[in-house]
Amino acid sequence: MPEAILKIEGLSKSFEGSQVFNDVNFAIPEGELSSIIGPNGAGKTTLFNLITGYHVPDKGKILFRGTNIAGMQPFHIVGLGIARAFQRTNIFPRMTVLENVLTTVISARKGNLSLFAPFRNHDKDHERAYEILENVGLADMASRESGTLAHGNQKRLDIAVALALEPKMLLLDEPTAGMSPEERWHTVELVKGLWEKLKITMLFIEHDMDIVFGISQKVRVLCYKTILAEGTPKEISSNQQVIEAYLGEEV
Amino acid sequence: MVNNRNEYSSTKRNWIAGIIVTAGLFLLPFILTNFGKTGEYWIWVTTEMIIMGLFAMSLNLILGFGGMVSFGHAAFFGVGAYTVALLMKKAGVSLFFALAAAPVVAGLAAAVIGWFCVRLIGLYFAILTLAFSQLLYMIVFQWYTFTGGDDGIHGIPRPEFLGPLNYYLLCLVLFIICFLIMRMLVNSSFGLTIRTIRENLERAKFIGLNVRRFQWLNFIIAGSFAGLAGGLLTELNRFSQTEFLHWSKSAEPILGSLVGGMYSLLGPAIGSAVLIFMKIFLQQLHKGLVEIWAIILGLVLLVVVLFAPGGLVGIYEKAFKKS
Repeated sequence: MPEAILKIEGLSKSFEGSQVFNDVNFAIPEGELSSIIGPNGAGKTTLFNLITGYHVPDKGKILFRGTNIAGMQPFHIVGLGIARAFQRTNIFPRMTVLENVLTTVISARKGNLSLFAPFRNHDKDHERAYEILENVGLADMASRESGTLAHGNQKRLDIAVALALEPKMLLLDEPTAGMSPEERWHTVELVKGLWEKLKITMLFIEHDMDIVFGISQKVRVLCYKTILAEGTPKEISSNQQVIEAYLGEEV
Repeated sequence: MVNNRNEYSSTKRNWIAGIIVTAGLFLLPFILTNFGKTGEYWIWVTTEMIIMGLFAMSLNLILGFGGMVSFGHAAFFGVGAYTVALLMKKAGVSLFFALAAAPVVAGLAAAVIGWFCVRLIGLYFAILTLAFSQLLYMIVFQWYTFTGGDDGIHGIPRPEFLGPLNYYLLCLVLFIICFLIMRMLVNSSFGLTIRTIRENLERAKFIGLNVRRFQWLNFIIAGSFAGLAGGLLTELNRFSQTEFLHWSKSAEPILGSLVGGMYSLLGPAIGSAVLIFMKIFLQQLHKGLVEIWAIILGLVLLVVVLFAPGGLVGIYEKAFKKS
């Protein structure tokens, strides 16, 4: 079994006295495509917020490639190799699609302090940005103002922005939220394709069980303030505890 | 590599218009000198427009490009003004050295004040900038022996060769240099970073940006340019006064930016020139109109905000885009 890229040990978090997590433990092996499921309010997004530095955990360790990143600043964690796409589209609306990715490419190579050279003349950045846009199928929309894109394309741009950071691990918070069934499968194939092509570790939150069981190597169920179960899609869908707590009878 | 210009959202260039306007600005004082006292007055007014335009452009680096509303930009304008006044009057330093020192000292002040301010965002940031500028105002106001208090510092010397016309040209050349530097900044990777933060501050952190650091640097740069503007106005007036640090001085570049257009580099300069011109024009039309200047200004702003949120530059771009 490959080494764990992310290891969470004894993670606890409360907000104003109400506990969200109590002693969460799990490890994600390098290169895995896995998902997190759980009922509404189980804290799936909060877990992402803790991993990416948006929230500071009360207790516990978040080890990313051996470094404890619990409580670090978001930009610092990004620098170590964790990128994230958001549940609610989160892009730079009055900039073009190309600029959205370009600014991230520049950030990834720490070129932001170049005060006088025009960013337009940096061919390498452009090639890289176009490569990423090709990957998510947005290259022909490069010159569009990103805020005017359709919802599905904005979500894909959000993923493109995360990819531009060349992460070792990518967290996707409901990549198909708000999409039509057709768009959903399109996005799922995109995510799967990217995973196969880039060989990075991916962790996603998803509500649609067909998608979860369709592409995850492993599924982790977040419930009752902790990881209730983890295993292959097959194991999870037949896990009695999970069915009672979350999946219901129809699965 | 195809660098086709509509891939970018930032300002488009218009070289021909730029050259014509620049040539016009260089010719203007030579025409005005032929009109005696009135001509001299208008040279003074246009010099002030250039200086206040520089001040407005400096604010807009943080306001329009950085998305940070500052109510205290006059602090750095005032620091620049008093730097020139004190160096020339009390230390006997030459004008050019004093003018070089103004942006440096103002930049240092911006580094100290900005260090605290960028820790806050939105309204809290705005209020803190206001608080700091009022603090500086009160210090200058009270410290009579050093700053002259509310008398200000008068009788600042002027090198002999710098008559009104030459001083106009000096300000114009400095304005153009500053404009070119700011344009490079705005079009650089740093400029793109600043716009990225403006567009979505939270997301910017998640693309690996140390947001505060870039905001701080931008704040310092904006403060430096404001300091130069303050120094130039001091030499134009041959005095420095507490009014240069007053909160109402902080409002002027904001209004200029709103009227001219916040999302372009030159917009704020155009806007503040228009406002200065309007005020003088109304004054000459009828003395009583100055007393209701605030009302007229309010109406102008109302119209701009409601019907032309992109300001004058926005109107210009709309008119020439689809043709």
